[in-house]
Amino acid sequence: MSTNYGGYMGKVMHIDLTTGRTNEYPWSDEERRLYIGGKTMAAKILGDNLKKDTPAFSEENMLVITTGPFTGSGAPSSSRFNISTLSPQTGILTSSNCGGNFGYYLKKAGFDALVISGKSPKPVWLQIHNDTFTFHDADGLWGMHTGKVQQVLDEKLSSENGGMAVKNGKIVIGPAGENLVLYASIVSNERLAGRGGTGAVMGWKNLKAITVSGNHQVQVYNREKLDALNKKWFKYLKSHPLTGDQLPRLGTAGLVSTMQMRGQLSTKNYNYGQYDDFEMVNGETLAEEYNIVNKGCLTCPIKCARTVEVDGKAVKGPELETLGLLGGGILNNDLYSILKWNYELDELGMDTISAASTLAYAMEANEKGLWDNGLEFNEENKDKMSQVWEDIAYRRGVGDELANGSRWCSEKYGGKEFAIHSKGMELAAYEPRRSVGLGLGYAVSNRGGCHLNGGYMVLIEGLSLNVNSQTPHGKPDFTVIFQDLMEGVSSCGQCLFTTYAFFPPPLISHPHSWYTRLFCKAVPVLGPVLRLLNKFPGMVCFHLPLIFNQSKALHLVTGMPVTFGSFFKAGKRGYTLERHINSRFGISRKDDSLPSRLTDVPQVEGDESTKVPLERMKNVYYHARGWSDDGIPTPKTLRKLGLDKLDSYKVTCEEFRSSSGGASR
Amino acid sequence: MIKIKLFGSLRLKTGCKGLEADSQNIKTVKEACALMAEATGMTLAEYKNCVIMLNGKQAKISAKVSDGDELVFLAPSGGG
Repeated sequence: MSTNYGGYMGKVMHIDLTTGRTNEYPWSDEERRLYIGGKTMAAKILGDNLKKDTPAFSEENMLVITTGPFTGSGAPSSSRFNISTLSPQTGILTSSNCGGNFGYYLKKAGFDALVISGKSPKPVWLQIHNDTFTFHDADGLWGMHTGKVQQVLDEKLSSENGGMAVKNGKIVIGPAGENLVLYASIVSNERLAGRGGTGAVMGWKNLKAITVSGNHQVQVYNREKLDALNKKWFKYLKSHPLTGDQLPRLGTAGLVSTMQMRGQLSTKNYNYGQYDDFEMVNGETLAEEYNIVNKGCLTCPIKCARTVEVDGKAVKGPELETLGLLGGGILNNDLYSILKWNYELDELGMDTISAASTLAYAMEANEKGLWDNGLEFNEENKDKMSQVWEDIAYRRGVGDELANGSRWCSEKYGGKEFAIHSKGMELAAYEPRRSVGLGLGYAVSNRGGCHLNGGYMVLIEGLSLNVNSQTPHGKPDFTVIFQDLMEGVSSCGQCLFTTYAFFPPPLISHPHSWYTRLFCKAVPVLGPVLRLLNKFPGMVCFHLPLIFNQSKALHLVTGMPVTFGSFFKAGKRGYTLERHINSRFGISRKDDSLPSRLTDVPQVEGDESTKVPLERMKNVYYHARGWSDDGIPTPKTLRKLGLDKLDSYKVTCEEFRSSSGGASR
Repeated sequence: MIKIKLFGSLRLKTGCKGLEADSQNIKTVKEACALMAEATGMTLAEYKNCVIMLNGKQAKISAKVSDGDELVFLAPSGGG
């Protein structure tokens, strides 16, 4: 199936691991226009195929790997790809966005997306080169760590190519995925599709790795104008205080100090928002004492990744979440230990956020006498951690239970009030009692406790702007806007960090100016105005030059008629689609929750404003979204977004298998 | 004494983690900015455009400082 739009390869492949058959998956230009690509496209495919009782570990569950139209187009920070599936960790849709180069090479192979169903009868790895799909026995690779298996795959491809290196993209799993750790990740180079347990689904399907290569080229609608826009866009991102200065210099690790100052740094399993020893584990110390070089993904001017030395080897440095949760989160002030654990967790192939937060829960449960597991917040315990990570990955001893995450453990041992998750996914390192808008975001996020999918309100509630972090006013409407814009950007295959440049540089770099102070004061009273934009996105029937280039770029890449308003509406469609599908799995208002430590216990004793007024904000949020009081998208909202005819399943695995296909195992 | 700390990209640019200033010489945040600019070879504007926290709360340039205070200069930040 080809396409009339630029930016797409026009081909989506369905791979059935049970039979080894591959077929083209039907995906029309109308679907490209409505769902763009990335996580929204994946949600539509999963929504068309998953039933309400489909288990995560089943042949019917699918791994959907998608790119966006920007991938390979030359747009800044556009080498992202997305992996979505029914999560074994949360039981609902999950999507995980990853950098690196796999998305770029998937398009070089000629595909926009892969839809993987079934289960291989034995461990395999899949080689994709242009239209050729070859399954290889993975017996020799099973059990390998993620770095080693990528190295061996490169050697195999090179050997096939007469000793010449083959440019390719790879995704692999490590022991955690093989052993079905519920928060196992999929790894690509040093980057991870970290969250939601995509690695466990891949492991259950007996798929160790995929390599992609080829020589196709992405064609865009208007190359000349796109190149001109990209040139300005790169320049703007490089000149912006967030994307051109803070992120390149310090990476996300640079947030630790600001979070500390704002009381937003999760400390001792979210008991507190400040860690006395934060200066020993912050981004500045990382940069001054450990960082070797800054790295970035293909076509990215931001270059937020750090490289550090662990045991004499140059490896990826930790992100803010890992620093926060494995630092103050467990009262650990030894930065080198965090670098080492971060590397070990990547090599085992699991999510550092869920691993760290589950550990912090287990330590507190042990401290409170609920669960005698030997895990404690102290210096001596530090030396045991590497063994704990291995025990989780191989499901040994207490690790076998930690591998199920904090929700599962708290249901067994008690302490639900301090199991810091939402919908089964552990929260990131931002303490929401001092950023209540983010608290709402964590709770309503489609994939569970995710700061980015939650709208990332902390950006304006203290990190880059000084909007009152304790007031609920205006936050639900802003959350909707940020969620929808980020959904749209993600569906294009672009990094969400580009959205931070949405705030004009003077607003960020002049915090004491009258206009910045006015903006910060105005946010809480802008709710009704923003509601209009949320209800009628189409009224913004033009582009927002410079600060939001995505809508114009989408037009120039694809040729679709796009304005800021229609782009925003596409994001809104995607976000609502994910919720609509999740409601099939039973998600409603009751699930948009936070542990009671965050909603009922003030962070600052005696200051009632330092807890998350969640229920109050949810009412406004649902209204702004056009969902019922129970958090279900109404028929009217679905109709407005073109989502009212989605309940019929498009393809079933049985139908797929009965169709003809090219086997190559 | 007034304890002054520096975080963010300005710290990496200057190599200065902070200093202690005599409270006799520094009466306002603005004067602290001038002191830091002189000590680190940066412009006054670069310090005035920082997020400035005085004893844990965001302060205006005109805020007064006194003996025992802690002043922190931060860069606006964002991440994920």
